[in-house]
Amino acid sequence: MSLSFLDKSYNAFHDDQSFEEANSNTLTLYKEPGLVVPPTFNNAGFRDQSHEIAKKFAKGTTTLGFVFNKGIVIAVDSRASMGNYISSQNVKKVIEINPYLLGTMAGGAADCQFWERYLGMQCRLYELRNKRRITVSAASKLLVNIMYSYKGYGLSMGTMVAGWDHTGPNLFMVDNDGTRLKGNRFSVGSGSMFAYGVLDSGYRPDLTEEQACELGRRAIYHATHRDSMSGGIINVYLIREDGWHKISSTDMDHLHWNYVEDKKKEIADRNKL
Amino acid sequence: MSILEYNGGAVVAMLGKNCVAVASDLRYGIKNTTVGCQMRKAYPIHQKCLLGMAGLATDVQTFLEKMKFRVNMYKLREDRDIKPSSFGNMVSSALYENRFGPMFLEPVIAGLEGDDNTPFISSTDLIGAQCFTDNFVVVGTASEALYGMCESLWKPEMEPEDLFEVISQCLMASVDRDCNSGWGGIVYILTPDKLITKELKGRQD
Amino acid sequence: MSNLNEENYEEERGGFVFDNVTRNMFMETKGYQAPIAMKTGTTIAGVIFKGGVVLGADTRATNGPIVADKNCSKIHFIAPNVYCCGAGTAADTENSTALISSKLALHRYSTGRQTRVVTAMTLLKRMLFKYQGHVSAALVLGGVDLDGSHLYTIYPHGSTDKLPFVTMGSGSLAAMAIFEERFKDDMSEEEAKSLVHAGISAGIFNDLGSGSNVDLCVIRKDSVEYLRGYDQPNERNYRTSYVIPRGTTATLSSTEEVLSKQLIINELDDRMEVAP
Repeated sequence: MSLSFLDKSYNAFHDDQSFEEANSNTLTLYKEPGLVVPPTFNNAGFRDQSHEIAKKFAKGTTTLGFVFNKGIVIAVDSRASMGNYISSQNVKKVIEINPYLLGTMAGGAADCQFWERYLGMQCRLYELRNKRRITVSAASKLLVNIMYSYKGYGLSMGTMVAGWDHTGPNLFMVDNDGTRLKGNRFSVGSGSMFAYGVLDSGYRPDLTEEQACELGRRAIYHATHRDSMSGGIINVYLIREDGWHKISSTDMDHLHWNYVEDKKKEIADRNKL
Repeated sequence: MSILEYNGGAVVAMLGKNCVAVASDLRYGIKNTTVGCQMRKAYPIHQKCLLGMAGLATDVQTFLEKMKFRVNMYKLREDRDIKPSSFGNMVSSALYENRFGPMFLEPVIAGLEGDDNTPFISSTDLIGAQCFTDNFVVVGTASEALYGMCESLWKPEMEPEDLFEVISQCLMASVDRDCNSGWGGIVYILTPDKLITKELKGRQD
Repeated sequence: MSNLNEENYEEERGGFVFDNVTRNMFMETKGYQAPIAMKTGTTIAGVIFKGGVVLGADTRATNGPIVADKNCSKIHFIAPNVYCCGAGTAADTENSTALISSKLALHRYSTGRQTRVVTAMTLLKRMLFKYQGHVSAALVLGGVDLDGSHLYTIYPHGSTDKLPFVTMGSGSLAAMAIFEERFKDDMSEEEAKSLVHAGISAGIFNDLGSGSNVDLCVIRKDSVEYLRGYDQPNERNYRTSYVIPRGTTATLSSTEEVLSKQLIINELDDRMEVAP
């Protein structure tokens, strides 16, 4: 008497496909969710409050990324809120997946952090297996496949995956609906409309690195000023061929008063003429 | 979302030694979008009385006009300014009239009363239940944080200069933890011989 | 037809205004929930003793989970010989007792007789019944008149009880447990005060909606003793002293308006004043 069913499944695993094949196909993990998750948020014990609680997990944000001739700029705010309460002004919303890949965070903090770290792990495994870096396209595809497999389960994530691979600079937007979009300019979060306004009017492919970083910073600044759910510190990253670099981390309030001073000077100069 | 949070805003009033202060933030928003940052939410009713209001902006403005009208009528009839405590009752009854279809606002009243300028503060809820205290009253979207700040920073018998620092710090610290209020502040300090108005430099996010 | 000029200056007076009801209902359909009003999650109680009535109340007013007022007064004046404790929506208890008190004052002026407790009770219950429970005031009414001592409870829908010892509000169970245990007929004033004090304290310490201090009101045949802050078992005994140096707060501008000195001429001593 042996545990024949175990042997069987073990054998089946080895007979049908090679070990390598089985593991390189990460999708097998996600044919079905790995956990037993009820198809809706578990209401037991919460009654109708659960809806409110679920809403409070989501936080307002402004994040943006754009591709220009010299690389990619990623800029984000740093506010985390629960409802109208500001729970932190110092959140790191850029997730450094590896030296060549960045992910941004909008939506549920836990969902973004967990799945982007998981993505980092998958990217590293890919590198070990294939002896080359994963493309941004492939990395974002890994993430969106997970998102799609959990579609409707209540994950909340609006993220940009940006990086430099052998094809050059690449920027993808991935969200919890299972959308994956390649593009040159994205902004995600509650303040995205304000950021788009500045970004679109100031964007040119031939910006210098400095101009591009300032454009990203300014777009986030205006969003933090107008959108009550965004604020705090503005973090700017630049991705070049040699990987990402953190350019600046500036308090939005200092920026505001500097911009006010600049504008005053500008007006004074114009009046002199 | 509660309709009281639609436009955002926070107001606090405090009692000092022979003086009172009212402070408010300056944000005017529509839900999460900041539309303006010049909106004072405290209004001098006459030389020795201030009315602060937080809540739905449309109701705040309508109610303010109504109160100005009633205060003017009172002055015509009585040939003197209304006492802050009587004004409190006027506000309270005007709000209670609308018990079954309330105005979505919460007022605070502060002033100096009588010949000896006794300081007075009170607040009401949106249907006019008055609350009299001898320390501070708070209303608005940042009220929870304001309660905490005021409970720890307020102390009795403050001079106008110290009262200003305390009320300002309470307001600024509180609105920095609330999404829908802030963007600078305004403080009114009422002493027996002058009304001091100070604009505060606050975070712009 | 009313005078047009008069209409221009004077608003209509008296009674509830329903102007905003349609708008507010519309806003509710748009998902903006109506805000909550201040409540007195309360312990109120009353006991009849040999020479009169003792009323008692805690002093906490709440707004949702927030203690909005730590020392509010819940024992309201109705007539010189009648007082009333209120629980429920603060504005409702405050205004319904004030309204009935004013009606009774006019009644006294017109009849020249002392107010009877039963009259106050009837006016209150009629008003509450008329509003079908929408005016949410739960009251304990007590007083002494020519027929002796009376103690009533009045429920928000307009029903009443006449009993020798009563409790009301969210802390009523805690207080009633004490009363059931210790109440006796024909107690002395001191016994009655101590019983009500114990009942209200039970509410303060065991009911989350009640708190702070104990207020008592003793009504005897010819006198009333309003004991505001009879017991203060929850005095704040911690306080750090933060000193904020002057000039800490950053300001953008500062203006001063010097108030004009007003010459006050006291021609009439009995000018109208709404506040007590």
